[in-house]
Amino acid sequence: MPYIFTMIKADYLQRTRSYSFLIVLAVTVLMAYAFTPDHHANYTTLSALGYKGAYNSAWVGYVTSIMTAVMLSYAGFLLINSAIKKDMETEVGLIIATTPISNFKYLLYKLVSNYLLLLTITAITFFISIAMFFFRGTGYPFVWSDFILPYLFFPVPALFIVASLAIVAEVFLRNRTILQLILYFALCGICMSLINSKSGPQTNGFFDPFGLNLITKSVVRHINTHFNENLESVSFGFIFNGQKTFKVFEWGGLNWSALFILSRLIWIGLGIVLVYVSSLFFHRFDCSAPAKQPKRKSADLAVSEFAPVRKPMQLSIAELPALTFNYGIFSFIKTELRLLLRQGNQWIWLLNAGLWLAMCFAPLEIAYSYLLPILLFMQVTRWSELATKEKANRVHYFAYASYKPLQRLLPAQMLSGLIFALLLSLPIIMRLILIGHGFAVIHVINGNAFIVLLAVALGITSGGKKLFEIIFFLLTYSVLNKVPVTDYLGSLSHPHQLSFLLTVLSLNLALLILSLVMRAYQTKNM
Amino acid sequence: MLSINQLNKYYHSQKLALSNYSIDIHKGVLGLLGPNGAGKSTLMKIIATISQPSSGSLIFDGIDIVKNPNAIRKVLGYLPQDFGVYPNLNAYEFLAYIAAMKGLGGTGLKRRIELLLDGVNLTADAKRPIGSYSGGMKQRVGIAQALLNDPKVLILDEPTVGLDPEERMRFRQLISDLAQDCIIILSSHIVSDIDTIADEVAIMQEGKLIAHASQYEIIKQAEGKIYEVLLAHDALKQFKNQYKVIDTARQLNQVKVRYIDQPNHTIDSAVPVIATLEDAYLFLTQNNV
Repeated sequence: MPYIFTMIKADYLQRTRSYSFLIVLAVTVLMAYAFTPDHHANYTTLSALGYKGAYNSAWVGYVTSIMTAVMLSYAGFLLINSAIKKDMETEVGLIIATTPISNFKYLLYKLVSNYLLLLTITAITFFISIAMFFFRGTGYPFVWSDFILPYLFFPVPALFIVASLAIVAEVFLRNRTILQLILYFALCGICMSLINSKSGPQTNGFFDPFGLNLITKSVVRHINTHFNENLESVSFGFIFNGQKTFKVFEWGGLNWSALFILSRLIWIGLGIVLVYVSSLFFHRFDCSAPAKQPKRKSADLAVSEFAPVRKPMQLSIAELPALTFNYGIFSFIKTELRLLLRQGNQWIWLLNAGLWLAMCFAPLEIAYSYLLPILLFMQVTRWSELATKEKANRVHYFAYASYKPLQRLLPAQMLSGLIFALLLSLPIIMRLILIGHGFAVIHVINGNAFIVLLAVALGITSGGKKLFEIIFFLLTYSVLNKVPVTDYLGSLSHPHQLSFLLTVLSLNLALLILSLVMRAYQTKNM
Repeated sequence: MLSINQLNKYYHSQKLALSNYSIDIHKGVLGLLGPNGAGKSTLMKIIATISQPSSGSLIFDGIDIVKNPNAIRKVLGYLPQDFGVYPNLNAYEFLAYIAAMKGLGGTGLKRRIELLLDGVNLTADAKRPIGSYSGGMKQRVGIAQALLNDPKVLILDEPTVGLDPEERMRFRQLISDLAQDCIIILSSHIVSDIDTIADEVAIMQEGKLIAHASQYEIIKQAEGKIYEVLLAHDALKQFKNQYKVIDTARQLNQVKVRYIDQPNHTIDSAVPVIATLEDAYLFLTQNNV
């Protein structure tokens, strides 16, 4: 077993020693800070019809722990869903496949490595939440158990399930990243709907991987009892309701039952079982698809047996046509668009087409506020590859040694990304033009440019795809939850539309400059 | 002519990849030899403009390409050691993409790509995604892309990797043809690749140029110092402690040892043999340690 620990340690260090992980940690600090909003903030993280808990130990500890569980369950999956893929890309997997390690042990060590990554982030939110308790300081006494126990019973088991589901998804869906995300988020959606389920807590602990049903019931019961209300549910997440005055109540936390703790252990056990079942189907890096035999006539077969296998390499430079130079970028744009369209699995186009058509006919507000951000997010792996594919495919030797790569190749990548984004947004743009909302059209174009430039800048800066994918997920999540500050497409109604447009425009300019400066450095310092 | 003057490259404050490296490279084939870590790839990356030297200059046709890299990029062909491809593109599309990078266009480009693909024997597979190619086929795509723009400077880092013996022979022929009108810098661990086509040889060690001359002159330095002797198997270990062994070959109960010694050799049964480029390379690099 000691070698398993060595492997886990090596894998963990390999994944955490990157700039992108450092930036993820920075984002975590920011998010953890936002989990405990200021008393005058216009959002809450646990909303119960205008009620808000007083910032005592229990409220800060429990709410930040469930926010960590919920947010990390979504964004964390994006961070860890390429543990096996990385071994395939680096071909380390081929070496591993030849060692005596069993499939189950290999997947188990990947599971633990995934889990440690998520626990690292959880630890940060844990300490930030304690700091926030004192920072927001309302004079309540600090109780350790109000922080340790909810973190121990909410995110710690829930994230184990997330880590194991990432393994299951990689084994069964291999490189179908978008399909992994769709199925996983759908599963999370179902689990979240169980949080406010009316069935009793004795059963819900077993059917609720996040275990959050317990807390929602307790809060609802508390409000209904003390304020004579008839609430049925509470909401999690960053909820902007513009309601700045809340009725404050004091909530003292939960009484943990043995049954609930048992349910957490069962969920952890289920995670291990899922990984074990996956190990029975694991490809062990033998990913070659069986070749299709071309149909041949028997006569052809007879001739081919006597035909030479192939002619030798013979090339005469003198026979080549004269060179003509063309320093435009049209050819680049054409190929970059081709690469964008061919990226990933082709079946995703069915979903894209369905969403695109829905944007033509759905009510404009729904199409603009929900369908467009979702359609743009569904292309996340295309955007994230825009400026990272050269290095990922080791084509950067050619790209960086090409004629004026900064003035030609990089702009072509940005332009092709923008063209693709505009094609996706076309139904919204056309509908806004038809009703004379020129300002909104500019907002959509500006927002499309923002996504493309963000993908390019983060790809070049971090050297990988993950950072953009996580940030884009958080951005899309926030837009769908109508967080005004993240309104990059201009789809939300608020009085600061012009200042938002100018802010996004300024960000676009900054991202453009950052991309050019960083790529200029990279082309000279390989 | 490509003139490299006093080139230095530091990766970290301690690690010196190239040290006061100066060389003039003329038309023809320059074979680069050196052990791993000698700085061959670093030198080639600097000439290919994808890495900047810490100090020194590279003058090509009177222009300093450190300051103006685009001057050489128009006429550069580069085949890196561990290059990759876009797996979703086919060979034709990939070459068209690389052609765009090199600023090539016009009506003749399509024909040029077709002829290059035919020349490297990939016409039948040209419409298949490169992701499904074998290692040798990918290497041939790499060779084709390096020749797209009629390069005046061709940098080939381990170009024969993945090629079968017949392809390797044809490739050497191709390089010899190209060398009439082009500077070719070729690095390879396979000395036989270099000794058949290189007009000049540069031997590098620890970032320094330790020898640069024609093959004849390089080999001459080892002449009279290479011997062969038959030894019993159990005597080999002690022999290795005393002499610089180049090669060994098992022969029934004995082992034939090729080694370096002084002209007035001390072993009576040893036979002087004609030195090869490989002998000279090992003689020079081991003498320089």
